[in-house]
Amino acid sequence: MSDLLNTLLHDTRLWRGHRQMAVTQTPEPTGFASLDRELGGAGWPRGALSECLLDRPGIGELQLVLPLLQRLTARQKYVFWVSLPFIPYAPALARADIDLSQLVQIDTESRSDLLWTLENCLRSPATGLVLAWPEKLAARDIRRLQLAAEAGQSICILFRDRQQASQSSPAALRLELTPDSQLGLQVNVLKRRGGWPGQSCRLDLAARAGQDTTVIQGPWSRPSGN
Amino acid sequence: MPWLYLHFRHLLLDHIARAHTTTAPLAVLCQGSRQVLQACSRARQLGVGPGTAFKTALNLAPDLVVMQADDDLQSRILEQQAHWLYHCLDRITLYPPDGLLADAGSVRRLYGGLQPLRKRLQKTLDERRLTATLATGPTPLAARLLARAGTDCFTENPDEMTTRLGALPLSATELEEPVLRRLNRLGLSTLAEVQQLPAAELARRLAPETLSHIQRIYGQRPDPQTCWQPPSDFRQRADFGLPVEKAEGLLFALQRNLTELENELRWRQQDTDSLLLILHHYRKQPSRLQIRTTGPEHRADAFLDLLRIRLEQHPLEAPVEALELRVTRFLDRHTTITTDLLNDQPDTGEAWHTLISRLQARLGEQALKHLAPAADHRPEHAWQSHRLTSRRQAEPSDQLPLRPLWLLPHPAPLTVAPEEWLKGPERISGGWWDGQRVLRDYYIARLPGDQLAWVYRDTHQGWFIHGWFG
Repeated sequence: MSDLLNTLLHDTRLWRGHRQMAVTQTPEPTGFASLDRELGGAGWPRGALSECLLDRPGIGELQLVLPLLQRLTARQKYVFWVSLPFIPYAPALARADIDLSQLVQIDTESRSDLLWTLENCLRSPATGLVLAWPEKLAARDIRRLQLAAEAGQSICILFRDRQQASQSSPAALRLELTPDSQLGLQVNVLKRRGGWPGQSCRLDLAARAGQDTTVIQGPWSRPSGN
Repeated sequence: MPWLYLHFRHLLLDHIARAHTTTAPLAVLCQGSRQVLQACSRARQLGVGPGTAFKTALNLAPDLVVMQADDDLQSRILEQQAHWLYHCLDRITLYPPDGLLADAGSVRRLYGGLQPLRKRLQKTLDERRLTATLATGPTPLAARLLARAGTDCFTENPDEMTTRLGALPLSATELEEPVLRRLNRLGLSTLAEVQQLPAAELARRLAPETLSHIQRIYGQRPDPQTCWQPPSDFRQRADFGLPVEKAEGLLFALQRNLTELENELRWRQQDTDSLLLILHHYRKQPSRLQIRTTGPEHRADAFLDLLRIRLEQHPLEAPVEALELRVTRFLDRHTTITTDLLNDQPDTGEAWHTLISRLQARLGEQALKHLAPAADHRPEHAWQSHRLTSRRQAEPSDQLPLRPLWLLPHPAPLTVAPEEWLKGPERISGGWWDGQRVLRDYYIARLPGDQLAWVYRDTHQGWFIHGWFG
């Protein structure tokens, strides 16, 4: 053994972490068996931030959180949608058995308003889940949100651009979402607390386009890409 | 029988001092003339006293906070005092600008004597940092004269009260100046001496009005009092003397006013959900801030928290000379109904109300919305958003068609050819009844980049994206 290692091992300030603290939190399963397996049964972390990194909308990113939404709203927990890119379509949410009276949509005008809103929502014990689409966040801001989520023991999922994947983030769970041509969603675990990252799985989300796929061809013109 | 009179020797001074945290010297100027009328103890130490010219006073104490004496204002402040006095005493009459009369006899048994009542009143006065002379008298006018003369008379013994009253010098009896001079020339100096004179002689030699005044003091002539009725709304005012430029400067005075409100609400056993804060500026329209809480509230801390957020968001338009707090809406208190007795989940209703109140105070009421489906075939009209305050229960509908989770606020032109057509067409036609006609064929299609989109073709052969299957 090298001298350096020896001195290090005899240093009382060094802690040899061969046993990790068991996760005492009750897990919040994602609702997808294959993803839950990859996440080691931990699901969405409670009292911490999760990040979903994606390129474009419409790849099934909301399908990923639908089971969680259904469960939390059924438990009469409030779900906040903050700073949305589009309108969450109420008929579709109602069709997915989500209690709409438990959803609150919040529009914010500035970045400081957004952070303040997120922090307040996360700290409140009334909150079950916060979904947010922030434009740009500094690592310092994410750290603050992380602390707020810890204080309130609520779940927060941030939807961010996939370009942020290369940057480090204090979030407890980071998922990279990429679609495939069979309407599936490839989920890569970039980081997870209490385990090794690197797992990936494919979720089949073809059902969101309806059960039977029938297209009636008409004599009308088709868009051909101009 | 005994009447109680509270004489506020320097009400304006106390009123301004209440709105300040610092111990700057304070003074009240005479209306019209530039002379000091009243000065606080700190100002008196610096040599500023009643009668000092304003300029001299400013030289002696450069940081002197001055206020013009204003009888209207003082009457309003006096009424403010009647509010809390009403919690302790009955049958209050206002004697503007500086006195309050109340019937001490009717509450004597409630307090177990007059001395406990005095203790209670003195404590309340100290809490509000007010100085007042308290005196009891056999008649309303007698109580007033004794209090104004500063006599230490707080008893229910009629003989003692009469003795004290008789010892009053004539100058303290509020008789007119020529009458006083004539009585003086007659060699009379105290009230008792005048009272002993035969009534008929007194009326003949002086004036019938003088006799009736003396008789009213001694209760030989009726002196009816009109009782003050507390208004149904709550109003509190704080004056600063020196204009306040920063919002933080308002918070101290606000806290005092909100504590008053909390006491008032506790006494009424009611709650409120809206406050109106009016900020008075110098030669400018006052600004009005309406604060709403989502649920019934009575705690001063909760109100202060909301007001602080509101003031952070909206900087002051101009320096503030005075602030006024108004509450007109009162709600009865109810116990919270817990649906499940054995529910071990902590009750989050209050946390919810606090959170929503905070968010609305900063972002505005319209920023928070609930969503609900609406009965319409046109996709852009098939949903609605409503405010959180209106709790509407959406009727469950089981026959909902397949729709995307994201709807674009405005349909975007489809610029690329879809890679795969999955479903369609679904023809949606409607709106002929309100002029917003829609005739479209909707398809579900996979675009390059593997996005699943809800696209439509309109009557002009244009293709648009209307939603994403997120």
